[in-house]
Amino acid sequence: MGAWRSLSGLFRRRRAFEEAREELRFHVEMLVAEKRRAGLPEPEARRQARLELGDVEPCAEALAERQPGAGREAWARDLRHAARRLRRAPGFSLAAAGLLALGIGASTAMFTLVDQALLRPLPYPRPESIVRLFETSEVRGVARTGVSRGNLAAWRREARSFESLALGYVTGRTLSGGGGDAEVLATAQVSCDFFPLLGVAARHGRTFHPDECHAATYSSAAAPTAADPVVVLSHGLWQRRFGGDPGVVGRTVVLERRPFRVIGVLGAPLDLPEPGVEAFLPWELERSLPRDQRYTVALGRLRHGTELAAARHELQALAAAAAAQYPETNAGWSVELVPLHEAVSATARPALLALLAAAFVLLLVACGNAALLFLARGAARAREAALRLALGAPRGRVLREGLLEGLLVATAGGVAGLALAAALVHGAGQAWPELPRAAEIQLDGSSFVFALLAASGAAALAAAGPAWRVACGDPRAAFEAGARTTHGPERSLRSALVVAEVALSVVLLTGGSLLWRTVHELRETPIGFEARGVWVAPVFLDSTGYPTGAQTRDYYARLLARLRALPGVVAAGAATTLPTSGVGPDFARPVWPAGLAGSPTERAEAWVRMLTPGYLETLGVPVVAGRGFGPEDGPDGPRVVAVSASLARRLWPGGDAVGRSLVVDYASAGTYAYQVVGVFSDVRFRGPRSEPLAEVFFPHAQRSYLIMNVAVRAADGAAPAAAIRQVFRELDPHKPPQSVHALEDLLGASYRRERRAMELVVAFGACAAGLCGLGLHGLLALGVVTRQRELAVRIALGAGHLRLVRGVAGEAVALVVAGAGLGVLLAIGAAPLLGGLLYGVSPADPAAIAASGAALAAVAVASAAGPAWRAAGLEPARLLRRD
Amino acid sequence: MAETPLDLLPGTLDLMILRTLQAGPQHGYGIGQRIEQVSGVFRVKIGSLYPALQRLEQAGLVAASWQASEHNRRARYYRLTRRGEARLAREEQDWQRAADGIARVLGLR
Repeated sequence: MGAWRSLSGLFRRRRAFEEAREELRFHVEMLVAEKRRAGLPEPEARRQARLELGDVEPCAEALAERQPGAGREAWARDLRHAARRLRRAPGFSLAAAGLLALGIGASTAMFTLVDQALLRPLPYPRPESIVRLFETSEVRGVARTGVSRGNLAAWRREARSFESLALGYVTGRTLSGGGGDAEVLATAQVSCDFFPLLGVAARHGRTFHPDECHAATYSSAAAPTAADPVVVLSHGLWQRRFGGDPGVVGRTVVLERRPFRVIGVLGAPLDLPEPGVEAFLPWELERSLPRDQRYTVALGRLRHGTELAAARHELQALAAAAAAQYPETNAGWSVELVPLHEAVSATARPALLALLAAAFVLLLVACGNAALLFLARGAARAREAALRLALGAPRGRVLREGLLEGLLVATAGGVAGLALAAALVHGAGQAWPELPRAAEIQLDGSSFVFALLAASGAAALAAAGPAWRVACGDPRAAFEAGARTTHGPERSLRSALVVAEVALSVVLLTGGSLLWRTVHELRETPIGFEARGVWVAPVFLDSTGYPTGAQTRDYYARLLARLRALPGVVAAGAATTLPTSGVGPDFARPVWPAGLAGSPTERAEAWVRMLTPGYLETLGVPVVAGRGFGPEDGPDGPRVVAVSASLARRLWPGGDAVGRSLVVDYASAGTYAYQVVGVFSDVRFRGPRSEPLAEVFFPHAQRSYLIMNVAVRAADGAAPAAAIRQVFRELDPHKPPQSVHALEDLLGASYRRERRAMELVVAFGACAAGLCGLGLHGLLALGVVTRQRELAVRIALGAGHLRLVRGVAGEAVALVVAGAGLGVLLAIGAAPLLGGLLYGVSPADPAAIAASGAALAAVAVASAAGPAWRAAGLEPARLLRRD
Repeated sequence: MAETPLDLLPGTLDLMILRTLQAGPQHGYGIGQRIEQVSGVFRVKIGSLYPALQRLEQAGLVAASWQASEHNRRARYYRLTRRGEARLAREEQDWQRAADGIARVLGLR
């Protein structure tokens, strides 16, 4: 024996097992020999010996288990044992692991999205004390808009609640030189407190000095007035355009044809003032500034120990005082404070939370199905386990093996689930760019921990019950029941699992159909323009290259003429901003009918747009009354405007807007009266969920603007993006478009979260329904197989096949009806989770509930068909003869 | 056997195995047979016998080795060790005293 001890434990155990088996076989042979001596023929002697002694292998295993050293290696050995048994049942193992992978993968992916996009603190020091500021005006129906520089400068001087206040504004600027093509960057001009407020420092170099901001104003949109303009580069631009070279600090880059000295480079992506900003310029916030141009992104950092409510109260008091002091600009305006984290994640939150809940439901359904598989396997194992228990194998060990099997399956499921989750998370980052921090989201430590928890939870849910039944059930029952495994309690457990699966699937399918209806409604909502076939290119001219209005007008006239000449192009036009695009100047000014100025709070706020001829045709916006702009509205013609139907209804409810005189308070550009020449049909400018805006339109020829969004309508099937870029390059190689997008994509982006939520919930629901079908099928099939004797007897007694089919179908119907009823109640209870996402459909929409019920009914029919067919095909004579 | 065979009294199998081996080395089947024959009332199941033999071997009371059996098959033979003999002597005494005590209480003597 001494020699054996030096060998590996595995070998020793194997050897012990073989010895024990040989010894027991000898025992059997001796018994057989004795029975033959008593006169029995060999086969009968062998049969009796076997009946008396049972199978020797489990007994040999039990003996080998008790060999010295067994305790030390018990876990490793049991694990190997469990793995071996799983390998012997590849169908079961793969199916169970696959089920769990689906559930674990979906829930881990959604957990990761929620964790990183919603829960994770923002990457700034003391992030909870950073707030975003919005101006609001209840009388004007403005919920949240940007903050004016004048107001923020005043609050910065007067408010005590804040350590600092800062603001920023994003616009496109052209970067050229340095070896690459000219390209338009999203750049932000920010006040000097911006970086210190966030606690963001430069990785190389520094951020702005106060004196650099002090001198920094920007004429028009782009060109700096400072003598020595400076710039801080984003981490992304530094990597992309400058190869991550720290030596770029101190060098000069060319922005809008003017040299800017690089003073710093950021060490990490920064999603403020808006995601995607690639360069930062200093911006003055000291001089007396206009109080009524509300377009900046304003941030504040609360003092230590200051409550949000107290800060809000203080600012609102200051706003009220300003409203009294400066009624022309501030009457009716107040301020709202929102924690930055909430402001960043508010849009995505309802979709992500709903998806997380949906993924959990799918995980539960998958666990339920896996539990059904483990139950079936447990029934098969019960005899063997009972034998080993009878031979003295410890109960705990048999239980442990069952649990280890579950754990192994769950581990495999967890690993596969992580791969699935990685793919899902990666896909979400790509397909859902509006998610907060979309580009950075990936599986991380928390995801692994979650997957681990989900896998162990799944193992416990799926395997513990069946393992317990095997190890701690009455071993005699296993023998007596023999192969007929589904007796009373076990069958009701299976039925309960199927009912629960059906209920959960109904919840998912109802959510999916509600979201499907929502997306359908959003798509079908008349938005007032025809996005199909329209291509959009934002253009940022600069006042250095185009110092006069005439030059600007000339550029856009030539650009549009060339674009119209492209093959396949039907129409082209431009506007300062386009519906659902979000790029370009977008601001509102007070307007009133001439002679009816009234008090400032009675004046309408109209969103100001400059349009070129061709814009209405390109977007397909109808003229309701009067005319669109044409050549007659030139720089020297009479001052004219057009209004949106909403504004016309508000100002002239009688419907005779055309020919009236409208006063527009255009801030620094002066307050004049304009003749209304047209009323344009309403447009849901910010997407299908938004209401049409009060808008006032100027002919671009009379109010030229450097920044325009060019729109090109192409014939069906044309893809003119490359040709459009080529036109830009030929016209002015220094002024490429910032991007060329299909307007349909921009429109789609305005309800992307609903669509993504819908796609995922529908996918989860389809998976769950499929799993339900499998579970139901398994249950019914097992029922037919184990009851075939009884069924055969009933056929033989004249029951008729049809009745048996009805019996099988009836069981399916009962389970599905019970589950669906429960599911409807659950779905109604869970509907508030979708509240923030739904559009044009009520959370308790009967059609959605009916649709999910119908889908499950179809699944039930499909899964009952096989077993019912088998019941119908039973041949009683053959079956009854068999036993 | 007219009477139903009895299951072993708890704790008595080890003692009976040791006593059986006092007569000389024997394999498992032989030990079981002998206990059944001599006692006339007990049935020895392999699920009890072999674990007991293993227990005794691990306790060093018996030793096992593979030898050729009477029919020239390989069989595992158990023999009593010195420690086993000592234990048997002590257990026999204990058993005798316990049996006497029980008999007195039951009024059999």
